[in-house]
This record gives sequence, structure tokens and C-alpha cells, in this order.
Amino acid sequence: MNNRKIRQHVMIPSDGAPKLAKEWFKEKIPDDLLVRFNPREIVHVHTYGGLSKFFKGLTEGALLGTKCWNCGGPEGNIWLPPRVHCPDCWRKMTWMTIDPTGAKIYSHSTTNLPGAGFKGTVPCPLISLEIPKVWTRPMSYLSKFAEDEPYIGMPVKPVFRRRNPTYTILDLAWVPVD
Amino acid sequence: MLTFGKGNLRVPKLSRNVYIVAAGMTDFRKFYPEKQTVELCLEAIRMAVMDGLGMEPKKFLEEPNYCVHSQFADHFGDQLLAAAKVHDYAGFDPLGNIEVKTGGATGGSAAQAAIMAVASGVASCVPVIGWERMDEVSTRQGNSYIASAACKDFEYELGRSYTTYYGLPMQRYIHENKPLRETLAKIAQKNHHYARFSPYSQSPKDYTIEEILNSQIVSDPLTFPECCVMSTGAASVIIADEETAFRFTDKPVRVLGMGAGSHTLRTADRRNMPILLLPSETPEMYKDWPERDWPGFISFLAARFAAWQAYNMAGIHNPIRELDLLETHDAFTVSDIITYEDIGLRPYGRGAEFIESGEAYLESDLPSERKLPTNLSGGLIGSMHSVGATGIFQIAEIFWQIRNEWEKFHADEKYWNKYGKTKPKDFKSLQVPNATRGMAISHAGTGSHVTALILERGW
Repeated sequence: MNNRKIRQHVMIPSDGAPKLAKEWFKEKIPDDLLVRFNPREIVHVHTYGGLSKFFKGLTEGALLGTKCWNCGGPEGNIWLPPRVHCPDCWRKMTWMTIDPTGAKIYSHSTTNLPGAGFKGTVPCPLISLEIPKVWTRPMSYLSKFAEDEPYIGMPVKPVFRRRNPTYTILDLAWVPVD
Repeated sequence: MLTFGKGNLRVPKLSRNVYIVAAGMTDFRKFYPEKQTVELCLEAIRMAVMDGLGMEPKKFLEEPNYCVHSQFADHFGDQLLAAAKVHDYAGFDPLGNIEVKTGGATGGSAAQAAIMAVASGVASCVPVIGWERMDEVSTRQGNSYIASAACKDFEYELGRSYTTYYGLPMQRYIHENKPLRETLAKIAQKNHHYARFSPYSQSPKDYTIEEILNSQIVSDPLTFPECCVMSTGAASVIIADEETAFRFTDKPVRVLGMGAGSHTLRTADRRNMPILLLPSETPEMYKDWPERDWPGFISFLAARFAAWQAYNMAGIHNPIRELDLLETHDAFTVSDIITYEDIGLRPYGRGAEFIESGEAYLESDLPSERKLPTNLSGGLIGSMHSVGATGIFQIAEIFWQIRNEWEKFHADEKYWNKYGKTKPKDFKSLQVPNATRGMAISHAGTGSHVTALILERGW
């Protein structure tokens, strides 16, 4: 009687994709070794939390930083990248709009071989910036450049990706002042 | 913090003597399909026990009472809690264990965790195993994974590569300190050269300076031979208390000093502060410095803080005179020259002199007290950067040097044959004559974590 039970099957459907690597890093894989492809596509969601204001600001053409009135004096001491809390007193800092007048390139490195998934075209000059009243040296990129650019001390101004924003730090770029 | 309180500047001390008694490693390769991670790890600890201590593994397994495991990125190995597999595979259950993670400094931090366990009396014999399996993904994906150890909100999307994150400090370093470009290339030349005499190395080669400077630029100004390799492999050391150490060997290597420092993950966030002076330095040396940024882009506060602790603990004033060899974390030529200054081999701004003077070279004609041969292992540029193994690999090389065993573990054809390699016809010994003290610097990110470990002859 038991032999007549209806039993379901567990199936592993074939996706038709190649399963075994024949070579990797330009090396042929010996026949006695099994080296299996292990592809994946995963979506995370990432919150900007208290920094949402900054990334939203970029899409509206505003460069925002934070400042601790508990620790910092009246002049300067602006954080960019901003932080919600001051690392010196752990109090909440105050948001303020940064005036980029006088911003200069502090350092630069033009990449030809970025890591996988980099969104920009290459060569892409990555830059660190020196901005009046900002005591950090934020990293960004120079989206327009001539052959002899960038250079240290080069005056630059920010541009914002207001149409089709990426909602990442790539929504902010810098261009020559002239 | 921008200013230090008295509590921050306490000098570390160990509650009892701690020793390294054995070391082992695999060779390091770009692609290692022949062995799974657990196999590599077992081979590294087996070498320490069998070739180092001359003990049967079964007998050794009666000794440990704690273990420390060292792996940088779960992304690469694609196995969360990989340490549990390694621990089990090597037969260490049910001993307590931890897996340490501090980026590129993981190996140095793991060794320090084991030292602390022994110094406290909690443990008496602690195997430390480090590894990284970096060959499951393409090199570009590997760079992207490593770059996810930079700030994902404000740095990662800007290049997704640490070569860029070091290209930025390099341009600034060249701008401020004006070293010859060739001097930086010489660091790469030296380390690729020393790697030729290691059966474990991944990127041995004799380059001319022109070849290095004319190679493809990854992110300017860094060229390919100036960047560390991406490796798969494992390394191990065994840490013990005095009683255990002398039962295992007549020549244990003692921990003389150690330090650990940190700094902002984002290079951008490094605010100016007064220079933390090493025992050998005076404020007069930097009297013109208020005009300049410190630490800025051209020094690592984390390395300075780690060296400050280690030198003060070990009583070292003049590292070149008082140390016999050094292993630095030469991820890029520029990070190496900066480290020379952070650890006081030269005052800030003058790191190039350490290379140009010949002090960094074993072969130089300088008297031994004026030399500090650096990265005779081949370092990260020439030999390996299998991240979780790296800091342990450095300690292993120093351990062998201090025991006068460099030749035993590098010159013996047995090891070259084991890895299917041919020992070079012009092979030379890189044993530092009468080496008694060495230091290892383990380093993460653009200086987010740095450890310094000073070892000396313990017998």
C-alpha cells in the first residue's frame, strides 16, 4: 500500500550557465581540479541616516557641512564629509552651507584602472580639496580637465548632478574655475 | 583626539614574559586552486610544528589552550566564520578562539591578541593562523572588495581602489618633501629583488628603475611594480609563556615591545595636531612645522602612535642602531617612505635618506650599527599580501632571522621543490649576521590601524 503513495520531487532546474572554470587569471586549470563559478547578484538598501541631508543637498545644488559650536571657535572647523556628532564632545553638530569660494586642489591621482563597478569613465582624476573654513580635505573628482590638469593648488568650483542623481558622493564633482 | 591625556600616553607593559616559539607558512600565489583555505592553514601551522619545533602534531595538540585566527575579509573567502572551519580542520576544538579583523593590520593585531592572552595568564600556548583567499574573484573585483574597507559613503565610489587612495598621498608627499621619483622606485626594486631569494614569494624579479617608472600607471603616479601583490596563502606563529617556550625550544624569541595605533578611516578627516615626538626626537626638529599639515596626507598618526608605544616599552631611542632588521607594510612605495618617518628612522620629510644612504639594504657597506635591512622577506610588493596572513608572515621572517634560521627556511632546496620552483643560480643568503632584534609594522587602510611589534633574542 505504501508503495502507492504519491511523492513530490525536489528539482534543481538547470539555468544553462557554464558551471566550471576552465581557466582563471589566464592560467589553465588542471583537469583533476574542480573550480566552480559562483555568481551572484545581491541588492542591499543603505540608509544615509542623519547624513541624508548632505546627499539630498547635493541633488539640490548645496554643499553642506557640519560644525561643533561646543568645541570649535567662531571661525572654520567645518567638517566635510559632515558628521552628525562631534568626535571630541559627542554632541550633535550644526549643519551649515559651505562657501566653496577659494577651493583648491590639495592632491590628486588620475586613475586608469579603478576597481570593478566604478561608475565613471577613465582616465578619471580623483582629487582631495582644500576649502576655506573646512578643516578636512574631502575627496572628490575633477569632471573636466586639460592635459596638464589637475595640479596641486589648482582653483576649482563644485558642480552638482541635479538631473538623474545617483544619490552617492558622485553627485558632487569639481571643475576648473576659469 | 587632537590632544592626549595622561591616560592615553601610558606605556604598555606585559604582566609576564611572552615568547614566539615557532613559525610556518605556505608559498603565496595569485591563484591557488590546488588547495582549499583550510588546507593552506593546516600546512602553515604544520610547518611551524614539524619543521620548526620538530614535534609530532598529535603531541603538539596537547599543548594549546587558546587560539587566534586572522582573516581580513569575509568577502574574499566567501565563508562567514571561516575561522571555525580552520580551527576545526586543524583539530583545535574545543579550545576557545577569536578571529581578529583590523584590515591590512589584521595579522599584526592577531599576534598582539595572542601575546595579550599569554601575558595576562589566560593562556600559555597560542597558535596564531592567518590567511586570505583572494583568488575567487578577478583582480578588479578584488580591488573593489578591498576598497570597501574605505568609507563606503564618501570614498569607495571615487575609484574603488586603494591605489588611488595612495596616489593622493603620494602626489602630496612628492609636492611637500620633494624626494626623487627614483628613490620611491628603489623601494620597489629592493623588495622585488629580495623576493627572488624566498621560495614563498609571488613576485620576484630584478627590475631596473626605468622599468619600474615606465611600467603601466595604475593610478598616478603609482606604477604596477610599486603596488603590492594580491595573494592566496597562509602563515602561522606559535606564542607561549616562558615555561612552555623553553620546554619547546632553547631559542625562543621574546616580545620586547608592542604598540597599536589608529586614525580616521577617511584620509580626508585628519585634522592638524602637534607632532607626537618619539624618544629620539625634540621639538626643535620641527620648529618650522606649524606652517605645515601634520599628520595630513604625508604621515600616519597610527604608525607614529604604535611606534611611540613600542619604543617606550622596549626602551629604544635609536631604532637604526638598536634594531637589526625591520619588516614594514610596503603596500605601496609611498606608504613605505612615509612609514620610515613615522617610526623615526628619519625626521619627517626626510624618509628618502633611509633608502639613499643604503641603510635599508643588507648588502650596503655601512657598519652594521648604521644599517637596518628592511623587508628582506620581499615584503608585500615582492613576496605576498595575503592580507590576514601578512602581519604573521612578517613576524615569521623576523623570528627566523633572530634564530639564525633564515637559511634553514629559505636556502634549503626542499622548500623550493615543495612549491615547484627552481632556486636561483645566483642565490645569496639574506641572513642578517648576529641578528638579535627586529621590528614588524602591520598597517591597514591609509593608516586606520597600525601595530608595531619588537622582538628580541630570548635566550
